[in-house]
Amino acid sequence: MSVAERVIRGAAALGTGLGMTFRTMFRPKVTVRYPVEKLPTSHRFHGLLSLPIDPETGKDRCIICFQCERICPDRCIHIEAEGKGKERQLSRFDIEIDKCCYCGLCVEVCPTEAIVFVPQYETSTYNRARLLYSHEDLNRAAPKEPIATGIVSRRHE
Amino acid sequence: MSLRTEELLLNMGPQHPSTHGVLRLVVTLDGENIKDVWPDIGYLHSSVEKMMEYRTYVQNVALTDRGMDYLVALNNEAAYCLAIEALAGVEVPERARYIRVIFQELNRLASHLVWLGTWGIDLGATTVFLWCFRERERILDLFEQVTGGRLHHVYFRIGGVYADLPDGWTGACEAFLDYFLPHVDEYHGLLTQNPIFEARTRGVGVINRRDAVAMGASGPVGRASGIAYDVRKAAPYEVYDRLEFDVPVHTEGDCYARYLVRMEEMRQSVRIVRRALRDLPDGETRTRVPTTMKPPRGEVYVRTESPRGTLGVYAVSDGGETPYRVKIRAPSFTNLYALTEMMKGWKIADVIAILGSTDIVLSDVDR
Repeated sequence: MSVAERVIRGAAALGTGLGMTFRTMFRPKVTVRYPVEKLPTSHRFHGLLSLPIDPETGKDRCIICFQCERICPDRCIHIEAEGKGKERQLSRFDIEIDKCCYCGLCVEVCPTEAIVFVPQYETSTYNRARLLYSHEDLNRAAPKEPIATGIVSRRHE
Repeated sequence: MSLRTEELLLNMGPQHPSTHGVLRLVVTLDGENIKDVWPDIGYLHSSVEKMMEYRTYVQNVALTDRGMDYLVALNNEAAYCLAIEALAGVEVPERARYIRVIFQELNRLASHLVWLGTWGIDLGATTVFLWCFRERERILDLFEQVTGGRLHHVYFRIGGVYADLPDGWTGACEAFLDYFLPHVDEYHGLLTQNPIFEARTRGVGVINRRDAVAMGASGPVGRASGIAYDVRKAAPYEVYDRLEFDVPVHTEGDCYARYLVRMEEMRQSVRIVRRALRDLPDGETRTRVPTTMKPPRGEVYVRTESPRGTLGVYAVSDGGETPYRVKIRAPSFTNLYALTEMMKGWKIADVIAILGSTDIVLSDVDR
């Protein structure tokens, strides 16, 4: 290939590439300015876990069956219960959310839909202790509300 | 007067932006010619095989997502689920099989887009990276609507899939495929005819058919060297035997051929998804298995075609709640060793082009 041919080929390729990138300028933008704008999450989104309060009873629906604790592949759910029979109640329901892999197996096995995903994914914190979610933290997280102390998203301020 | 020369040992990585993960390449150089390459792996070892021995069969699906190749989580899940289903003799409903094929092919598209984009960056083409990730984002949105996850899904279950497709998803998927195909032509326009791209890839990093077989290269790397082998055709799993598609094969064995193979595979994946969406039967999507399933004693080896090559899962059951042993035959691992053969004799500047063309993912190499 002579030099002239190579120059012509190079120029043609440059023209093709630049022409395509130039045309892209007139297409609608696809980027989102993230912390300010947010994309909606889907209905099945695996966000943070929560134990929402049932408005009828004023309590969550957990029946202390330990199924979520048993199925968790990362063993990040810790449940303890006190009392016998009808008096039986949770004394501890903690989730180490830093270990959680958001697989959804706990949500799947829960017989009463007590543990659910909420469309909330901003978990970053400066303090690792804040990633241990206690029973109260998990109860507070009705969908679309901040889930744990210290983690407040801008959307809800 | 003769010039005194000596060999230079050069460390690339493990923290190098072009090694696609944490890979250390010890390159022996003579001037700028590569005499030998020694990949040092293990920086991303997650001991997923050992962890699987301590978790139940159902829990292990969550491990395959992140412990193995994180870019093709659904293909990993499929390989693992197929192995355990074969071990336990679980029947998968027809609809679930089709859904699995659709998702594996969409994940293949997403994986090839990541490869093309990052390889483009390696070769100095930034535009193609942004464009590929733009399309990939649409695929991840499709995943999110069904599986709830964007990278890590845990959607396939032993005996089917977790839940049926939501209403209107198939339409959205069709719309995406219509949107996507013209963009493949755009990538061709950006790269295929570009003289700089050609100069850096055509004839570079050649591995001939015999060496490719000897080094165990599979997938696009093998098919670019003339190994006309695709598990989806050779030993069809799921419903691949009922779907029409072609397997692109090139014989040159260079970076350019590997590029062309993957580009054509993207088109073929679109074809498979279209066909599967059309043939999608109604019915159940899941056979229930107990959460503490105990497959009978025995062993099984299942092969699947992951975007990077032949992904095999060898599982042994001793009749208990957890697997006795799970061995993963990772495609990136064998392709990485084909790399040493490809790189000999090329210049130091070609290392990145060749490394990128093999499309390795280090979490798949190390497991």
